[in-house]
Amino acid sequence: MPEPAGWQRVAALADLADDAAFATTLGNRRIALYRLDGKVHALDDVCTHALALLSQGFIEDGAVECPLHGARFDIATGRCLSPPATVDLRTYAVRIEGDEVFVRAAE
Amino acid sequence: MFLRNYWYVAATDSEISRKPLGRIILGEPIVFFRTEDGTPVAFEDRCAHRHLPLSMGKLVGDRLQCHYHGLQYDRTGRCVRIPGQDHIPPDAKVKTYPVVERYHWLWIWMGDPALADPAEITDFHWLDDADWGAKSSYLYVKSNWQLIVDNLLDLTHLAFVHETTIGNSALAEHATVKVTRAPNNVVVTRWIIDQPAPPTFVKVGGFTANVDRWQMIDFTPPAFLRLDVGATPTGTGAPQGKRVDGITMRNLNAITPETEKTSHYFWGQAHDFDVKNAELTQKIFEQIQTAFHEDVAVFTAQQRNLDLIPDPPQIDINADTGVIQARRIIDRLHGEEQAALHATAAE
Repeated sequence: MPEPAGWQRVAALADLADDAAFATTLGNRRIALYRLDGKVHALDDVCTHALALLSQGFIEDGAVECPLHGARFDIATGRCLSPPATVDLRTYAVRIEGDEVFVRAAE
Repeated sequence: MFLRNYWYVAATDSEISRKPLGRIILGEPIVFFRTEDGTPVAFEDRCAHRHLPLSMGKLVGDRLQCHYHGLQYDRTGRCVRIPGQDHIPPDAKVKTYPVVERYHWLWIWMGDPALADPAEITDFHWLDDADWGAKSSYLYVKSNWQLIVDNLLDLTHLAFVHETTIGNSALAEHATVKVTRAPNNVVVTRWIIDQPAPPTFVKVGGFTANVDRWQMIDFTPPAFLRLDVGATPTGTGAPQGKRVDGITMRNLNAITPETEKTSHYFWGQAHDFDVKNAELTQKIFEQIQTAFHEDVAVFTAQQRNLDLIPDPPQIDINADTGVIQARRIIDRLHGEEQAALHATAAE
């Protein structure tokens, strides 16, 4: 199934919290939205190690920790910070319009 | 693997009497009895002479007399009589354990006696509180204690193991789950919104339409699981903290390892509605007991496979988050206890 091009509305700002991820989909991909210091970040929601959903993990010090095996990823950059994962998460451009959150599908 | 510096539930208060009770806890044989004034006492269940369990003996006043050669031990565990001999060797004594009666259970401290502080006993007041109806019980389980902890931290199993009582498919398919953690605590919060009530809830709560159901599971090491569970008619505000026209119960679990492959499972069920109705308390208890017997069959079968194939590979699924976080806490605390033991030994 082709991914939609361009921007897609994925959440309302009110859906987001500082202590919890908001899980949603972008085309056929599962993504998670995070709010850190007032800024919204969008990352792939599936851990690159064993396919756990990171939105069910733990947000600490600007990173999300996988709920199952403890791999950590930087929320702002998607960078893998600790094992057992080794591959970074894909990140997506985010645009806020009023109360709406839009994410751009990666090409 | 056991955690030692903790209070464990050793017995129900009614099990401890003037007839000595032998029970193995964390691999140690222990004998329990009451002195003439009712005070509970716990000893090593092994005569210092030829190792017979003292629980095979009998009480003579406040002295426990060995069944084999009649040696008598006072309440401090010191041998005070050897038939046919005046001199008592200084090593003629058995180890004693700190014990406390609370919440209709007898608690025992299995670690360094100098560290035993009754203030650290985990709160189970619901079992002994006029605002709650409650009944508790005991199950002997032929499995490792951590399999029981795992079970209570992942309640998706209710949909499959307990479909005739406390489970239905809504639990596995329509729950929103949040896991929070602290250094020595894991809380799994599950909400199942606008779904049919399971059979037990219909029976004891009288629900005729969909409900908002919650399961809040609190894990405290080594193996205490206190569940706040209940349901209210859908849309009446339970997720926002307003519980009306529904039922709230506490499912209370204290697991005490007997050996690495067997466990003592103390549990109780409390309810905050119609609390003086003993028939209702019994009815709720029987529903949960039915479910727990189904769990015991699962634990026993898991242990059988783990005996055949020790430490096999396993996969983890999203529902395991609470299980994995709790096991991490247990592993860390075990590592800390072992490190402290080695440091003491090296001094």
